[in-house]
Amino acid sequence: MNRILAIAQQPLTRLFLVALIVLSFQTTIFNTMRPFGVCLQVMLLLSTSSGLARGSEIGAIAGFIIGMMYDLVLSTPLGLGAVVFALVGYLAGMTNSFVHQPTWWTKMLLAGAASGLGMLFMPLALTIVGREGVMNRHILVVALVVGVTNAAVTIPAERLCRWVLAEPGQAR
Amino acid sequence: MGGLTRRRVIAILALTSILLITMDLRNSSSVSSARRLFGAIFHPIEGATRVLTTPINNIWHGITDYGDVSQDNKRLKDLIARQEGATIANIAGVREAQELLALNGLPTLAGIDSCTGQVVGQSPSNFSQTVEINRGRRCGIRVGMPVLNAAGLIGKVTESLDDRAVVMLITDPAYSLSVKIVNQPPPKVTVPNNVSVSPENQTTTTTSTTTTTTTIAPKSTIPGFTPGVTIATLPNASQNPPSSESTVAGDIRPGQGNVSQITVPPGANLPLRETGALEGRGLSRNPIVRFIENQPRFGVVYIGSPIVSSGGATSLAPPDIVVGTVSRIISRSGTLGPLLEVKVAANLESLNFVRVLLYQPTTERPSAP
Repeated sequence: MNRILAIAQQPLTRLFLVALIVLSFQTTIFNTMRPFGVCLQVMLLLSTSSGLARGSEIGAIAGFIIGMMYDLVLSTPLGLGAVVFALVGYLAGMTNSFVHQPTWWTKMLLAGAASGLGMLFMPLALTIVGREGVMNRHILVVALVVGVTNAAVTIPAERLCRWVLAEPGQAR
Repeated sequence: MGGLTRRRVIAILALTSILLITMDLRNSSSVSSARRLFGAIFHPIEGATRVLTTPINNIWHGITDYGDVSQDNKRLKDLIARQEGATIANIAGVREAQELLALNGLPTLAGIDSCTGQVVGQSPSNFSQTVEINRGRRCGIRVGMPVLNAAGLIGKVTESLDDRAVVMLITDPAYSLSVKIVNQPPPKVTVPNNVSVSPENQTTTTTSTTTTTTTIAPKSTIPGFTPGVTIATLPNASQNPPSSESTVAGDIRPGQGNVSQITVPPGANLPLRETGALEGRGLSRNPIVRFIENQPRFGVVYIGSPIVSSGGATSLAPPDIVVGTVSRIISRSGTLGPLLEVKVAANLESLNFVRVLLYQPTTERPSAP
């Protein structure tokens, strides 16, 4: 029992379980609620928030795991979303390097920018692996809508990720 | 998770991604197994979340879609009333066509089993057009099988789990299918009785405002031969017209060659067909048909000409499944044939019940180990 609890307290286990629940929201409610015809990306939000909460290295690893889980339910090549989400987590984590003591609005701004960039990287990566027809003007709308909506909910998402990625015994 | 340097982290993640992408693009079985295993863990959680979020979902659709739904409802009621009569006539026509095909030993859709499923979700991505249905391997569904709804073809199965299957829609850029374009002859207009037609100069005088064009049988320089007529006779034959029983081509006996017949092959008035390749073009763009040959016999393609699957040993779908109609023609110079934009018959934005034909194309069958 203690062993199970010890495993459950590991940040990776918590990340997997939380990402599983967020993924279920992504594939159900956020899949049907499409403002301006754009599917909101809460999995991407989780990646950017991980980077904001725990820095670029952990953000990249968390983004990779989140992206991998997302790839497993999509028809895109496995690993493609993972590399894009890892990059987004890494970029979001670099906030701590660029901004000294970031405020709530700088976090929102940077998370929105990282999410928007992620939505531009995704079709680029798809084009690199040979998918055609994904690079069009619609991706700008997608990047804008996803960036704005993710920025709006960055602060609670960052708190969630701070708890999820905390090492056992670490201050949250 | 600490302890790793920044460079090592990036290098490891990048290499892992490249390895996984390569494995997936080469259709590795371990990647498929991983997807299946994750699906088995994830789908119960997804199902529970779907149940929990249904009220929120309904509120959202109530706010955003009410006006459209109300208008659609009125329009569809009118449409149903108009189509009920046509459906009965069409059913009779389809039965006759199937009987004819069966009599001639040709494949028909009626001979292919199917599995009906319901769409339970669409792709949560902005860059791929797939839907998920609630039937899978247990129903006999395999990768590559064509999927259609009441209106026509909607796509093909790209992934099959025990009780789920992912369907790639016809609009996905990765989708391609060989199709036939049935080029209808130019529109015919009935000529009223009070129209005088002068065959000499082939002009039409009409007193009716509804008549726009007139089809006039073309003249031929071959004596006795009238194009479009199944049996034509030489001048001598007009004195002794042959009975309908003795109209077999080449039925001329030695010494009795004074009465000869020219047989025009049947089917000259049937719609002409040309094959091409249909390709999806992504979100909010209609699919196109390429590789139409610029054949004079095929003639000009008309907007509204039906497009159906062509079938064949390597095709992804059996023949004669309705795909859509030609909505726009993009002409190209030289020997390049035209590009045809297709208005898909099925409404891909509101899919509900779909039918998977249990027809696995040869190109999609797993090779024997």
